[in-house]
Amino acid sequence: MRESSTVPEDVKQRLNWLLIFVVICFAILVICLWYLQMIKGEEFKERAVENCIRSLVEDAPRGRIYDRQGELLVTNRPAVVVSIIPAEVDDLEELSERLSKIIAISPEEILQTVKNYRENPFKPVKILDDCKTNKIVEIEERKDELKGVVLEVKPRRDYLYNDFAAHSLGYVGEIDKEELQRFGNPKFQGGDIIGKAGLEKYYDDILRGEKGGKEVEVDASGQEVATLLYQKPVPGEDLVLTIDKDLQLYGESLLFGKKGSIIVSDPKSGEILALVNRPSFSPNIFANGISSSDWQKLSCDTDYPLTNRSIQGVYSPGSVFKVATVAAALEEGVTDRKRKIYCSGSFKLAGQVFTCWKENGHGSLSIVDAIAHSCNVYFYTLGKDLGIEKFNKYMQKFGLGEKTGIDLPAEARGTIPSAQWKEREVKEIWFPGDTINLSIGQGYLLLTPLQVHNLITTIVTEGKFYKFHLVKKIISADGNTVKEIKPKIYKKLDFSSDTFKIIKEGLRQTILTGTGWRANIKELAVAGKTGTAQNPQGETHAWFIGFAPYENPEICITVFLENGGGGGEVAAPIARAMLEKYFNIKK
Amino acid sequence: MKEKLDRLIENLDYTLLFAVVLLCFYGLLVLYSSTRLAVTGGSDPYFFVKRQSLWALVGFVFLTIIIFIDYHNLERYSRVIYFGAIILLIMVIFAGRLTYGARRWLAIGPFDFQPSEFAKIALIGFLADFLSKNKQKLDNFFYYLLPFAYTGLLVLLVFMQPDLGTSLVYLAILIIMLFVAGVKIKYLAFTFLASISSIPLLWIFLKDYQKNRLILFLNPNLDPLGGGYNVIQSKIAIGSGGFLGNGIFSGLQSQLNFLPAQHTDFVFSVVGEELGFIGTVLLLGLYAIILWRGIKIALEARDLLGSLLAAGAVSFLFFHIVVNIGMAMGMLPATGLPLPFLSYGGSFMISNLMVIGILLNVQLNKIKW
Repeated sequence: MRESSTVPEDVKQRLNWLLIFVVICFAILVICLWYLQMIKGEEFKERAVENCIRSLVEDAPRGRIYDRQGELLVTNRPAVVVSIIPAEVDDLEELSERLSKIIAISPEEILQTVKNYRENPFKPVKILDDCKTNKIVEIEERKDELKGVVLEVKPRRDYLYNDFAAHSLGYVGEIDKEELQRFGNPKFQGGDIIGKAGLEKYYDDILRGEKGGKEVEVDASGQEVATLLYQKPVPGEDLVLTIDKDLQLYGESLLFGKKGSIIVSDPKSGEILALVNRPSFSPNIFANGISSSDWQKLSCDTDYPLTNRSIQGVYSPGSVFKVATVAAALEEGVTDRKRKIYCSGSFKLAGQVFTCWKENGHGSLSIVDAIAHSCNVYFYTLGKDLGIEKFNKYMQKFGLGEKTGIDLPAEARGTIPSAQWKEREVKEIWFPGDTINLSIGQGYLLLTPLQVHNLITTIVTEGKFYKFHLVKKIISADGNTVKEIKPKIYKKLDFSSDTFKIIKEGLRQTILTGTGWRANIKELAVAGKTGTAQNPQGETHAWFIGFAPYENPEICITVFLENGGGGGEVAAPIARAMLEKYFNIKK
Repeated sequence: MKEKLDRLIENLDYTLLFAVVLLCFYGLLVLYSSTRLAVTGGSDPYFFVKRQSLWALVGFVFLTIIIFIDYHNLERYSRVIYFGAIILLIMVIFAGRLTYGARRWLAIGPFDFQPSEFAKIALIGFLADFLSKNKQKLDNFFYYLLPFAYTGLLVLLVFMQPDLGTSLVYLAILIIMLFVAGVKIKYLAFTFLASISSIPLLWIFLKDYQKNRLILFLNPNLDPLGGGYNVIQSKIAIGSGGFLGNGIFSGLQSQLNFLPAQHTDFVFSVVGEELGFIGTVLLLGLYAIILWRGIKIALEARDLLGSLLAAGAVSFLFFHIVVNIGMAMGMLPATGLPLPFLSYGGSFMISNLMVIGILLNVQLNKIKW
C-alpha cells in the first residue's frame, strides 16, 4: 500500500521555508488591514462620505419690481452658463480646443480658467456667462464630443426698460470680498448676487429671498443618486414702487441729452412719482458681471452717469432757496406782509456792493412781489436783518444739511454754512457779506435737488415733513401684500399759517406775473419759483420748484439742470411739460 | 472505476475543498453586491452572478477531470501542453480580440477565453516535470538557466499582448518552484540582483501607461483624478469599512461606483468596505487554509513531481492573493492581477479551480495503489 515518499529532504526543507514566507506575508497583510480599517477607519469613513455627499445651493429667485400701476419694471430671466466639470473631462486640452470653436474664447483661456480652479473637481467651473441661444444649440448638438461641459440655467436680473429709472432701481452684482467680510457666512457665500446700488441695495434683504439647497448623494460620475435633504428656496418679495412709469419715462425724455434731475412727489404722502436723473446707464450691463472696459467707460465719464444727481449731487440752489429766507424772516418778524423795501438795483454793505439781477432795480416791493420777481435786494435786506445765527436755526428746521431719509442708499447731506463751519472748513471768519450771499441761495450753500424739493413740499404741507419714499408696497411672490408703506410725518414746523400763506401767494404770483411765467398753464393754477444759480463749474444751474393746483396741491415738482442756464428760461418749461403730462392737459 | 471513486471519496482533502467552496460562495455574494446596480446586465441584477456561477460550475468540471488523470502522465505530455500554450499565445497576438489597447482574448464560439490563464497551468505542469527530471543537474548554472528560457518565452508572448501582471505571475511561479526544487540560494540571489540592475533596461520596453502606474504607485496623489484615482478610492473604501463594515450592499464607495473595476481587480475593496476587518480577515483565513493545505500536500506528496506540482499551484494562488490585496491597500503597484475565486472572470475562475484540481490530484496520489 503506502510507499514512503520519495520527496527529497532538501525540497521538504524549502517547502517549510515557503510556508514561513507565506505566513509572514499574510501577517503583514493583516497588520496593514488593521492599520487601514481599525486605526484609520474613522478618517477614511469621513472621506468616503465626503466623496459622495454634495451640498448644492439653489438660488432663490430675486423679487420683481413694479411701478405704482403694477407694470413690471424689473424681473429675472433664465441665463445659460457654460461650465466645465474638471472631474468628468478626459482630455482637457482637446476639450478646450473643441469648445473654443463654438464659444469664441481662446483654448488657452479655457485651459487656464479650469486649471486655476481646482478646489473641488466636481464643481462646475464657469467658462462663459449668458451664452447665446445659437451657441447653446450647438453645444447641445455636440454634447458627445464635449464630455465634461455642462449648461446651467441661472436666474439673471432683467431691467425691462434698460436705463429707465436706473439710479433709483440700482443694479446687482456678485458679492465682493469686502461685502463678504462685512456680512459674512452663513448669510452669504462667494459668488452670491447682491444689490449694489439703488433700491436693489436698499431693499436687498427683501428682494433676495432665502437660498434653498439640498444635500445629495452622488455616484462617481457626479450623477445624483438620491436626495438626502431638501430645503426649498424662499423667493424674494416683490416691490411695488411709488414711481409712475409713464411720468418717469416722459421726464426722462425731457431731459434726454441734458444733465439734471426732475423730482415729482405727492406732498400729502411723500410718495415719489418720478425721480429722473440724466445722464443715465443701463443696469443690465451689471447683471452679467460688468466688463472692465464698460466699467472704465462708466466710472471715468466726466458727466458722471452713475451718480444719482437727485440725492447724491450737491449744488448751489440759487433763488429757489429764497423760500427758506422768507419763511425765516416772517417767523422772526424781520418782515411782514406790509413791509416794502426799495430796490435800486444794488445793495451796499460794509463797502461791498451786491447787485440785483435787474440792473435798474425793482422799485418798492412787498414780500409777495419780491418773491414773484425774485428781487435780490429785498432778500439781501432780510438776510442782513436776520443775521447768520437765526438763519442757521431755520435752515436746520427745514432739515437742510441732513439726509431726507428717502429709501435709497448713499444720500448726500449737502453743506449748510455757518460761522463755525466757515472757521472750521475755510479757516476764515464769517463776514456779513456771506449772509447776504446765503439769503439768495448763493455762496457756500450746497443742497441736493431732493433737499430743495423738500423745501417746496414743506411749504405746501404747511410744515409737515412726509418721509420721501419710492416703495409703496411689498408683496410676497404669491401676490399677498406683506407690507404697505403708509405716509409718515417725521417732523413738523411750528410756523404760523400766515407765513405759508404769504409764501404760497408769492409762488403763485411768480407764475402769473413774475419770473416763472413760462410754467403758466391756462387750465391749471401752478405756483412755483425759479432759480438761476451761479457756480464755479461754469454755466449757471437752472432750477424750478413748484406745485399744482394752487388751491388743493396734488403734486410738487423740482426741476434741476446742471449748468443748464436760467431757471425761468430752461427749467420752468420742463416743469410745465411735466405738469401738463401729469394733469393730462393737451397742449 | 468503482474502487477509484471509493478511494477518492475516502481520501479527499475535505478541508481544502470546503475552503474553496466557501470562497466561491463568498465571492458570489460580494459580486452580487458590487454588480447588482451595474448597467451592463440590463435590468437583471443577477447578470454577473449567473455568469460567474456558470464559470464556477465549468471550473468544478475541469477540477474533477484533473483529479481523475494521474499526474504522472505529465512525464509524457508536459512538452505537448507547453507547446500547446505557446501556440495559443501566438494565436492571441494575431487573432485576439482587441480591448483597451490589448489583445488578451481568444474567441471560441460564443465565449471568449484568456489563453494566458491556461498557460499558467501549462507552465506549472511543464516546470514540475522538467525540474523533477533535472533536479541533480540544477547545480549546473546552465541547467539552472534553462527553465528561465522556457518561462521567458511565455513571459515574452504575454508581455506582447501586453499584460505585465500575468507575465509577472509566470516569473513568480518559476522562482518559487526553483526555490522549492532546491536550487542554490546564491543562484537565486544572483538572479535577483541581475533583474534589479536590468530594471532601467526594462523601463524602455514598458508602455507609457505601465510606467505611469509605477510612478503613481510611488505617489498616487500626483494625479488624484487620473491614474492615482483607483488606488486612493480603493484605500478609502477599505479603510471606511472599519471593524464591522458598512454591511453588505451598503458600501458608499462600492454602491456609488467610486471604485473602479470593483467586480474584477478591486473586488477586495468591496469586501473591505462592506464587511470590514472581520470580512477581510475571514477572507485571508480561507486563503490561508488553502495555501496551508497546499504546502502540506506538497510536503506529503509521493514524489518530487507531485511536490513541485503542488508547490507551483500554491505559488500561483499565493502570488495573486498577495499582489492583489497589496494593490488594493496601496502597498503594491496596480498590476491588474485578479483575486482568486472572487474577481469576476471566466478564464480566471476556471484556472483557479484547475489549480485546486492539481492539488487534490497530488493529494490523492500520495499513496500508490
